[in-house]
Amino acid sequence: MSIPVSVLRLPRGPDPNSRGFDPQSPRFIALCTTSIPTSAASHDTEQLQEEQRVRSMLRENFLRCLLSVNNKKVHFHMLEKVNVEATFGSSDIDVLNFQVSDLHTPIGVQKEALIRSRDVISFTFDL
Amino acid sequence: MLCDWLHLGPQEWLQFVNKEVKVKAGNDDELRGWLHTVDPVSASLVLVTFGHQGASVVVLMGHAVRELQVLREADEVTSQRLRTCFLPHRKPRLEPQEVKRRKAGLQRWLEENRLPVEEDGERLVVGGALSVAPPYGPEDCESSNQIILLRIQSLIRDAQLHTD
Repeated sequence: MSIPVSVLRLPRGPDPNSRGFDPQSPRFIALCTTSIPTSAASHDTEQLQEEQRVRSMLRENFLRCLLSVNNKKVHFHMLEKVNVEATFGSSDIDVLNFQVSDLHTPIGVQKEALIRSRDVISFTFDL
Repeated sequence: MLCDWLHLGPQEWLQFVNKEVKVKAGNDDELRGWLHTVDPVSASLVLVTFGHQGASVVVLMGHAVRELQVLREADEVTSQRLRTCFLPHRKPRLEPQEVKRRKAGLQRWLEENRLPVEEDGERLVVGGALSVAPPYGPEDCESSNQIILLRIQSLIRDAQLHTD
């Protein structure tokens, strides 16, 4: 088992200089919409109801998928041709950050890490 | 064949679900698979590929979708597989006698290890800080204290090793 390296630089938490995790930072505001809104055009309640029904179904299926990845090994394909392996923990509600364990990076294994979803192109795993 | 994936909306996304699609991603990768669902919050796609040894899944972030093309519709067998591949595996229900036997066995083991155990219906409560539900495996422990949780889980694993 790989020995975890000591963390050299933490992605700092909710203070003003947290470089992209902070909701007030310019990067966050530019790149991260918290949720895709419903279509503004539907004044028709029946249409809106149907849209909500479809939203719920799609979201439930997605959440079940996330549940099934829990504790599995995943490969992250990220920007700048970065490919790393980790054990998937969970995602936050807006799918903005992923919590992972045993992140294998070129400088060593990070025991726990947060990955910004905006930096991720895709991730793969086996069922 | 598509831009602005993020703003299509649930009903449009639904049109692509249950179909085999080819997607061009942000890093110029081309991904292919059966579209299981699209997350309405992030527009991320869940693509499933069925192989000889089970299925592999790619989750493509909504913001990375450049182009999407539909290849074909899923047949009945593939639809069924897609519907069920993420459902939790049902644990087989245990006989009441087996439940009793396991509970008594675990209680004995914990007491042998000098831990205070109380019964609370079907559950066992250890030291007032952790509870174990049937079938009394390491994954069936609940506690708000991580250290106690890890300790009891490893104890239960040791018990399973002894009895096997």
